[in-house]
Amino acid sequence: MEFQDYYKILGLERSANADQIKTAYRRLARKYHPDVSKEPDAEARFKEMQEAYEVLRDPEKRAAYDQLGSEWKSGQQFHPPPDWGSGFEFSGRPAGGGRAGRRRAGASAGGGTFAEEDFSDFFSSLFGGGSPFAGATGRAGGRDHHARVDITLEEAYRGTSRTLELKRPEVKPDGTVELHSHTVRVTIPAGVTEGQLVRLAGQGEPATGGGSAGDLYLEVHILPDRSFTLENRDVTLTFPVAPWEAALGASVTVPTLGGAVEMRIPPGAQSGQKLRLRGRGLPGQPPGDQYVQLKVVLPRADSAEAKAIYEQMRTKLNFDPRASGAR
Amino acid sequence: MVRVTQVLEAHVLSEGDWIAASEICQLCRLDLDAVLELAQLGVMSSRERVPGEWQVPATALPRLRVVGRLMRDLGVNVSGAALAVELLEAQRELEVRLRRLERLVADY
Repeated sequence: MEFQDYYKILGLERSANADQIKTAYRRLARKYHPDVSKEPDAEARFKEMQEAYEVLRDPEKRAAYDQLGSEWKSGQQFHPPPDWGSGFEFSGRPAGGGRAGRRRAGASAGGGTFAEEDFSDFFSSLFGGGSPFAGATGRAGGRDHHARVDITLEEAYRGTSRTLELKRPEVKPDGTVELHSHTVRVTIPAGVTEGQLVRLAGQGEPATGGGSAGDLYLEVHILPDRSFTLENRDVTLTFPVAPWEAALGASVTVPTLGGAVEMRIPPGAQSGQKLRLRGRGLPGQPPGDQYVQLKVVLPRADSAEAKAIYEQMRTKLNFDPRASGAR
Repeated sequence: MVRVTQVLEAHVLSEGDWIAASEICQLCRLDLDAVLELAQLGVMSSRERVPGEWQVPATALPRLRVVGRLMRDLGVNVSGAALAVELLEAQRELEVRLRRLERLVADY
């Protein structure tokens, strides 16, 4: 595993006092908080900062970390010394089994499901399960009952399923807690929209004392689509048409989320004009619509014949696109 | 090969679904006073089904989770987090409109 220089991460000298540590963390947190920041690596940076702050704000952990010495550099290969943690007295709960650290994710899964990650292996080896510090962190054990699921627009239209790995704490006879995971397949119904929540009854944190378990909430995010843009339940498609199709009207085949349909372009249509296919958006009560935005594409004047046609239009049509009402 | 032990049906929460304020507190790691203050500030609506048992719309949950994170991670108070979340949402809406307009311009 790689050494983490917590002072460097927070931009601090090793002599920094508690107030300086807090100020540095707050200042960087405001810059890199994933809800606020536009930085591409904000989430990773914020996680590093939280880990660094978790150690440096705690006098016991900081003292132990400082004992490693100041010669280490970030990224250097590192193994905890054999006598790690000896000679310290610790506050907090006794050490628990399993890999501790600060597990907050209630669910994780491959295939685009969001899950908050643990702290680094470096942190876990020094302050996680099996170390004298395990359980001493004030935030250990807090579990989210919330996960994010990314789906495509087509999946939102048809409904989909995702496999999630849910982690549950289990109290062992010796009082320590272990996380056990089980895998579930979740069926997400057709017609979910961006940001909508789905509830999985009874899949949250198990109750202590005989009550019913909490629920797990999944927040659905619809990935951008190459063809369609989504607004609530309505979708918009930019659709290229030839000038004569727009001018004379035409019957064309248009893709929709549910498959291709025939659509009539009225004579005299203009580029940018939107035509509505009622009920062809995302399903729901009522279902959304599909808007087809026409984009007139001009043929190139790259042959003598094409040039002749354009010349003929110029001389015969008496058309000025900049005249009022021309569009 | 992933072994699936259970198949679950998801219930989509939409307009008209309400969640107990106590559940919101647990999910967003907010205390009840903060949730009620957020309702007073207009961040979301609330209703008292029976005296002392408050509920908030399920659709407010993502917004309240952001409020909870901002309060915990940045040390802002309730009204500061309420203001921040509204400004962030306004910013996102403008960004979506900007992207839509940019795409429109690129199409021409």
